[in-house]
Amino acid sequence: MSGALFSFFGSGAPIAMAAAVVALVASVVFLRTRNFLYDALALAATQAGFVLLAAALAAAVIWTHATARSWWQWDTRLTTALLCGLVYAAYLMLRRAIEEPTERATSAAVVSIFAFLDAPLAAIAIAWWRARRALPPEGAAPPGWSATAGVPAFAMLLAAVAMTVILLRREERRRALDAERRAALTL
Amino acid sequence: MSAVAVEDVWKFYGDYPALRDVRLEAAPGSCLALIGRNGAGKTTLLRIIAGFSKAQRGKIKIHGADPRETETRRQLGFLGHGIAVYDELSALENLTLYGKLYNLKDPHQSALEWLERTGLERVRNGLVREFSRGMRQRLAVARAFLHEPSVLLLDEPFTALDDRAIAVLQRLLREALAAGKTIVMSTHQLREALELATHVALLSRGQLAYHGACTPEMVADPGYIYARYGEA
Amino acid sequence: MGFLRQVWVVTMKDLRAEIRTKEAINASLAFSIVILLLFSFAFDPTDETMRGLSGGLLWIVFAFAGTLMLNRSFARELPNDCLDALVAAPIPTSALFLGKCLANYVLVLAVELVSLPVFGIFYNVHWARQIPELLLVLMLGSWALTVIGTIFSALTVNIKLREVMLPMLTYPILIPALMSAMQLTTALVGGTPINSDTIDSLKMLVGFDVIFTAVSLVLVETVLVG
Repeated sequence: MSGALFSFFGSGAPIAMAAAVVALVASVVFLRTRNFLYDALALAATQAGFVLLAAALAAAVIWTHATARSWWQWDTRLTTALLCGLVYAAYLMLRRAIEEPTERATSAAVVSIFAFLDAPLAAIAIAWWRARRALPPEGAAPPGWSATAGVPAFAMLLAAVAMTVILLRREERRRALDAERRAALTL
Repeated sequence: MSAVAVEDVWKFYGDYPALRDVRLEAAPGSCLALIGRNGAGKTTLLRIIAGFSKAQRGKIKIHGADPRETETRRQLGFLGHGIAVYDELSALENLTLYGKLYNLKDPHQSALEWLERTGLERVRNGLVREFSRGMRQRLAVARAFLHEPSVLLLDEPFTALDDRAIAVLQRLLREALAAGKTIVMSTHQLREALELATHVALLSRGQLAYHGACTPEMVADPGYIYARYGEA
Repeated sequence: MGFLRQVWVVTMKDLRAEIRTKEAINASLAFSIVILLLFSFAFDPTDETMRGLSGGLLWIVFAFAGTLMLNRSFARELPNDCLDALVAAPIPTSALFLGKCLANYVLVLAVELVSLPVFGIFYNVHWARQIPELLLVLMLGSWALTVIGTIFSALTVNIKLREVMLPMLTYPILIPALMSAMQLTTALVGGTPINSDTIDSLKMLVGFDVIFTAVSLVLVETVLVG
């Protein structure tokens, strides 16, 4: 039972990776077309991916403790995931720090591109670092983390899509509200 | 070909249209006064013309070319709210710097000339941070005119200028117009602007409410244009 | 005017302004010395421990002190709206960016070259055993720090929380470069020349520098103009 739970949450990790790809493509398309729908999509995908990643990391930590008696073993996948989480957290923080919607969308899109280029470099660097440290050889990946097919992965994919759609609509509504507020403030 | 052409420009902040389908022109040698209430979009429009921000729809053409092209930027002079000179450098150093950035043949010489034309030659080696407000404003004017731009964009230039600076600026603008340069000037100070203006454009809530020649009625009573063409 | 000449004009402007006021460089230097001192209280700096920690410690100091400097990079253009004038000037935005990067690079390297001997003094470490290679690593790593810091300085220039957002964005993205620089520095300070163990880190540094310099040059116009 608990194994299945870990599997479910763990599959969120590869789905989060897919969400990052969606966010990147949406960001690039936004920069080319300046259509705010793509900006909303980039945001929604990043938020959904971030939530799934956080849940997957939490589950992995608990699973690691349950099976190996230590909380964090610095394995490549988890460490890279943690780092990507930090980068995308910065993306989300940046969005909150910029008030004007067009500037926010443009800056966020640029950060999204940087973040996506950084992820593989981080993965490689962490893998090399692990090898150097002569840490114990990596155990199996936490359940769900390497799954690409199967019920848990599919379920998480549906959850991700649902979250993305909801968050996208929320962002569109927010933007419309912001426009109304600006219109009301003009004399 | 017009010197400045604004073609169907829309500017959005998110979903909010700050500029709506603005279309206007300034012929070479004309002086266009861009007037409107606060928040009408004058500064937004000027900044788009100058190339500081991009319109989501529509185009800007400066002598037929895009304002972001390097050659076009050489022909543009901008005087905004900030003086755009460095406090830590001297007046001469500032102008020489801009002279180099604008690829002038002899930046040092041009800098000295313009310091003289704006009455700042005595303080040329003084640091800008020690200048009085009027001196800073005159230096800003020198910076904007230094590279002899053919199109001058001024955002509320007469606001917060002292008498001496206003006189300097008006003289320079008249000389520029006589030399065939084009001026687009956003302003609240209708009187000073309308003395120089050949054309007027009234922006109201992001839309163009009037665009045409500057008539004697407007010069006589600047409030006339608001009364006649009002708020859109 | 050639591209390089334009870059040079921007670089000299920044350097001249900074040398005159010395605001950022003084703060940066003071900060790095304080951190070095602080860490020497935190750890017991015997020779053995230092051998393993040197790279990590040095690059943490460099990254923190460097960010102080990089924050100023575009922020110094804000008073008087100088940034508008620079963007309006007929130089490619990439030249503006490179000019600022170079100026920052010089300043960051200056702080680092002062911090190294201070480190040697406080921790009693002979750091100069592989000087040419150590300088190479310093230069590659500092360029990574400078490029990322400068592009994000441009990105965050108009944000109120700039001082918070710049480190938040810069450090995570820098991690591959920092990890590599740390490993190389630890080895070189310990006296081991670059070998098959460390060559990978060097490749990572070079790759990181090339990729992010290219991406920054392409995107800087979007960042500054929109």
